[in-house]
Amino acid sequence: MIRHYITIALRNLYKQKGLAVINMLSLTVGIACFTLFLLYAVNEFSYDRFHANSESIYKVYRHIPAKGGEEAKDDIYLPMPLGPALKQEISGIRNYVRFRGAWGNDYIRINGKVITGPGISYADAALFDVFSFPMKYGNPSQAFQKQDGIVLTETSAAQLFAQENPVGKTLEVKIADAFVPFTVTGVCYDPPSNSSLNFKLLAGMPFFNSLDDGKKHEHNWFRSGYTTYIQLAPGSNAKAIQQTMRDFYGAHYPEEKGEPEATATTYGFLPLREVHTATGIEYSAADPKTTWMLIAIAAGILLISCINFTTLAIGRSAGRAKEIGVRKVIGGTKKALVLQFLTESVLLSIVSGIFGFLLAYLALPAFNEMTGTAVPFSFRQFPELLWMLAALVLFAGLLAGSYPALVLSGFRPLDVLKRKLKLDGANFFTRSLVTVQFTISAGLIISTAVILRQLDFMRSKNPGFEKENIIVVAGNENDTTGIYPLLRQELLRNPQIKGVAGTDISFGEGNGWSLSGFDYKGKNRQVYEYAIDDAYLRVMEIPLLAGKNVDAARASDSVQGVIVNETMMKEFGWTPENAVGQVLDGYSENPRENPVVIGVVRDFNFRPLHEKVEPQMFFLHSSKHMPSKILVRIYPGNPAKALDAIGDVWKKQVADLPLQFAFLDDELDRFYKNEDRWSKITGRAGAVCIFLACLGLFGLAALTSVNRTKEIGIRKILGATPVAIVNLVSQPFMRIIIIAVMIAIPLAWYVMNEWLKDFAYRTTLSWWLFAAAALCAVCIAYLTIALQTLRAARSNPVKNLRTE
Amino acid sequence: MIELKHIFKWVNTGGNKIFLLRDINLTISKSEFVSIMGPSGSGKTTLLHTIGLLDGFDEGEYFFNGEAIHSMREKQRALLYKKNIGFVFQAYHLIDELTVYENIETPLLYQDYKASERKALVSDMLDRLNIVGKKDLFPSQLSGGQQQLVGIARALVGKPDLLLADEPTGNLNSKQGEEIMELFHRLNAENEVTIIQVTHSEKNASYGSRIINLLDGRIEY
Repeated sequence: MIRHYITIALRNLYKQKGLAVINMLSLTVGIACFTLFLLYAVNEFSYDRFHANSESIYKVYRHIPAKGGEEAKDDIYLPMPLGPALKQEISGIRNYVRFRGAWGNDYIRINGKVITGPGISYADAALFDVFSFPMKYGNPSQAFQKQDGIVLTETSAAQLFAQENPVGKTLEVKIADAFVPFTVTGVCYDPPSNSSLNFKLLAGMPFFNSLDDGKKHEHNWFRSGYTTYIQLAPGSNAKAIQQTMRDFYGAHYPEEKGEPEATATTYGFLPLREVHTATGIEYSAADPKTTWMLIAIAAGILLISCINFTTLAIGRSAGRAKEIGVRKVIGGTKKALVLQFLTESVLLSIVSGIFGFLLAYLALPAFNEMTGTAVPFSFRQFPELLWMLAALVLFAGLLAGSYPALVLSGFRPLDVLKRKLKLDGANFFTRSLVTVQFTISAGLIISTAVILRQLDFMRSKNPGFEKENIIVVAGNENDTTGIYPLLRQELLRNPQIKGVAGTDISFGEGNGWSLSGFDYKGKNRQVYEYAIDDAYLRVMEIPLLAGKNVDAARASDSVQGVIVNETMMKEFGWTPENAVGQVLDGYSENPRENPVVIGVVRDFNFRPLHEKVEPQMFFLHSSKHMPSKILVRIYPGNPAKALDAIGDVWKKQVADLPLQFAFLDDELDRFYKNEDRWSKITGRAGAVCIFLACLGLFGLAALTSVNRTKEIGIRKILGATPVAIVNLVSQPFMRIIIIAVMIAIPLAWYVMNEWLKDFAYRTTLSWWLFAAAALCAVCIAYLTIALQTLRAARSNPVKNLRTE
Repeated sequence: MIELKHIFKWVNTGGNKIFLLRDINLTISKSEFVSIMGPSGSGKTTLLHTIGLLDGFDEGEYFFNGEAIHSMREKQRALLYKKNIGFVFQAYHLIDELTVYENIETPLLYQDYKASERKALVSDMLDRLNIVGKKDLFPSQLSGGQQQLVGIARALVGKPDLLLADEPTGNLNSKQGEEIMELFHRLNAENEVTIIQVTHSEKNASYGSRIINLLDGRIEY
């Protein structure tokens, strides 16, 4: 029976090649899109589940309850002695792993050649026992037995040592001011895309503890900066152990003793499987809402493609009616017919599924780039994908085919055989479905327009200083104390370069910040701090409103003087007239105790535009701590030439290390990576949606012109022009599309208005933006129909009528 | 075999009842060959469809092999229909996408015959109607007469007791028509198939054993 159904399905597809192509194309695209988003979601929701012990591993965090007007705070960066103390003092904890992730890239020297390589991370050797990071070469239990042992990942091994097995080889990593030799003891497989714990070069904690930082931190409970994982012993209860943590905390921080239970700081255990989505605790956690948003968009695309199948199947039902009537007359039951049509649609969706998976596979790199992930299309990593994709294909087939199956199988045979039946693209159900398609499409197009406008607004808004033509040269890992003055001198001699300044922190995503909290006149204040040199304000073109710039020649400035911004001035209750000379009581960071305000600068947006300008403070670099970022202002016109010049000077002064640089405006734009990503996602999804919806419209228009051949012929004989015919056929569709746009506009307006609320500085939602986006959707739809109908409108009417 | 008692059928058009069938009383026994005649619009086809359970009626009683059709459920009626009745149409109504063989096989699929049985039955039918050579062709590749032969083969393959034919020769030339009538005659005489046909032609009617004349939905005696 099934074979019979498949035969007739294939012959029907062949007979209606045009429709089959439209159906298959739209289902292929729909399934491909959904597959990609599904892959993304599966990756998101399976984070850290690949570890054999994933259910008994917890990440420790510090929980500071809300107190005296301050919000509760959680922190995952903890002191070094915590792990060993937990294992020693608390029964039920089997093991601990401390981990310090890489900071950016490190310089690596192999056989005398220096490259910018992956950054080095540190962990306890138990990492390979507690977590499941299997090794390709080497023995995990001996990885850090010797202090100079280092483990690479497959990728970093390939990058550093090409194809050979590097175990036993030596490499040198630049740590602080010197290249430190390591011996490769193992190569482990890359941490999978759904791992929250990532490393490329991994050295042991014993080595780290031999460094200056390590020596200072190993037994210090007041230096935080290490994440700590614990593995519970079988049978022990995380909740019960967590109950004892308040006392444990008190034992190690005696000053906390006597704090009432409600406000006492304690440690919490975050199950490893929840680390990736713990937005309140983990800095880099992903909000599952985002994933669901993406799934919703993908479901919209799939829905549109399934609707194409449904509306076209109904539109073509006149062609199938005879077969249905005959089948009923020779004994076919409704059930048998439903089954037949479902077989047909599922068959189509299986074929489309195969093409769709292929398409998804091909589009995966672009998709990963768009979403900022690196998910592989791997059934080995995601075995659940297999049944999910099978279910997806089946679901798409049933979703697309069930309504036509019910309608078609419900035909009464006599009506059909007597040709009483009239069903085309103009019935209510079809119209509603097309409305849904265009509502989704128009909604996404409008949303994209709004996101792009906000993005453009943020990128082009004047941040309050001259962000163009500044090159940020990274001094990271270089001893700039000696180099900077010479570098600066040489750079300034070049005619391409207008000014050079030093700072410790640049702006933009990934550059971090330094936030200092202190009590000023009994109130806690949070201030962003920037260490600068005396050229900074001039080079950045930040105007002073009062007072004067810092001056390296003035001794008091290196220990006392600070410059504040307008917001800080207002928040501290000063005015431009009285700000200079104010003393910051309560501020104490070596060497500054109770510093004095010497100047006020105009506010500028140093944080992303989601945030209002916050209090900000500048002070002079100490002579021992020279800038880690060098800001070079170049003359506009020829950045390539200026870069060459910088490169030359760099080479002369810093012979062995490659130059790392970025343009300041690019760095600032990186603040809006997320918005940029969303604009791409909604934009592309919108494009796919409108393409699919128009594909369906194209098919429907074709069916309508076939069904109305006779009418078109008569009208032409009566003198209708082709344009009049096109308008005649397109009118009912255009009505639907305009209704869809009318529904989409308020929906998109509402959603986008909510989205914009996240920004302290935002664009306005002007009516013309909606009108333009809507008009765009309507025009595309009209052109689609016109393209199709024009053929029918131009054909010879006599010929049409003769065949009737 | 068939017993119709006071069958009425009507449609409502703007408050007026238009009668399609008026007080039909008719008995047809097994292995009869009945021709229904009458002018256009007299209700011939309606009567045939009513007998063939393709169409209902509004009043009266209908017994098929002693079973009361009028008080049957839809499902039972469908089952009865599937097992006992074969239909032949003026316009053949073959499924264009299926070959001759597959067209004839289709009713068997709906009656849950096994594959081997289906093969035997279809081959037998192809043999009897002398169309073995055409079995892999599609309807569009056949002449009208050949298409009607396939239509008849399809109606007969499930071995129904009753064959209903709505102007089976209406679209055929006289020679083809004669062949079909000869076939009906043979089926009726040799295989004892009960046949009811609607026809305009006196000549076709003469192949049958009885003629029923309809006028305005009423049997004329």
